[in-house]
Amino acid sequence: MMNCLEFRRQVGALPSAGGPELDAHRGECAACARHQDELRALDALIARALAVDAARIQRRAAGAGGVPATRRRFFAIAASLVAGLSVGLVLLVSAPRTSIAREVVDHVMHEPGAMNLLVPVTAGALAGVLDPEGTRLRPGVGDVTFAARCVHQGHVVPHLVVRMPEGAVTVLLLRHREIDEPVQIAEQGLEGVVLPAPRGSIAIVGQGLKDPAGVAQKVFEAVDWGV
Amino acid sequence: MNREDGETDRRRRFGVLCESLRPDLLRFAFWLGRDRQLAEDVVQEAMLRAWKSYDALEDEERAKPWFLTIVRREFARTFERKRLPLADLDELVAAEADVLAAEDDEQLAAMRQALFRLDEEYREPLVLQVMMGYSTKEIAAMMGLQQGAVLTRLFRARARLRQELGLAPEPAP
Repeated sequence: MMNCLEFRRQVGALPSAGGPELDAHRGECAACARHQDELRALDALIARALAVDAARIQRRAAGAGGVPATRRRFFAIAASLVAGLSVGLVLLVSAPRTSIAREVVDHVMHEPGAMNLLVPVTAGALAGVLDPEGTRLRPGVGDVTFAARCVHQGHVVPHLVVRMPEGAVTVLLLRHREIDEPVQIAEQGLEGVVLPAPRGSIAIVGQGLKDPAGVAQKVFEAVDWGV
Repeated sequence: MNREDGETDRRRRFGVLCESLRPDLLRFAFWLGRDRQLAEDVVQEAMLRAWKSYDALEDEERAKPWFLTIVRREFARTFERKRLPLADLDELVAAEADVLAAEDDEQLAAMRQALFRLDEEYREPLVLQVMMGYSTKEIAAMMGLQQGAVLTRLFRARARLRQELGLAPEPAP
């Protein structure tokens, strides 16, 4: 026959425990039964406590590790200005050279069909892709005809295709990838740029664009980084 | 299905897995390291490692424990590599106050702080049991402990939480 100590040892490690012996002891010992009920209530509280909002973990981590909001806003504005000035220069001057360009091109080439879609995705589908990043796309830049969360270099990244008057462009939000300066992309018939962003970087590439720099700048400015 | 379609499908399946498991992995890493930046870094790195060895995952039903194991290892690696400084508990609580906050629920907020202050040796098995739903046997296998040791840690974890929250003490096992 189980005694109180043995009962409490078992339910102390697993409050939901049950079985013939435990149940029999519960039936005979009101104090132990009450104790197990208290532990079950405690476990319910522990479960609620552990279930912190994952979005809060992610938002803060994405938000430059606790940098004050004012500084983040300043960075966003500064990044926008720097990007605006440098997009043109980088496309004219620099040569494709880094692996990030190749990674982006490889990703785009893996889903060639995405560039051919014509029907805009729903607002809900777009939000489903961007909300986890705390970002959104301001309306007016063009129709988003493809929106997915893809694995890119082991990270899950939003992948959009935006159909603009200038042509269709693929946009990858590479929050995990910090770069110090814009990187030109000109490979396998794709052209574009990867720009430093308030959160990681953003890749913008298309085919046969007349003004890739202008297109990239438009897209960059259309992204609300939520910082 | 040609090779390219197969690869695209593989990426998509992995992406779906990551998306569905990410919140739990973040929570697990957060309670393990008590630092959300660290949690985010560890989970990202773990996903990268998981992608590299995705072929080793034979049964996607077992993806969660597989990912958790990778997160645990990555967490240990990060500690080894960075030799993270020991922080004052009050500072840790203050730094993560908005994650630990529980609007209009003092009891919940107190429990979160008590969990935060719990020693890692007690916190981890408790998180695996209560949040992840693992049996003591599974926790023992995951942590490389005897099942009896896990039971003792779980008992002590609850006893310490009760003590921290000012509830009546339990008899020692």
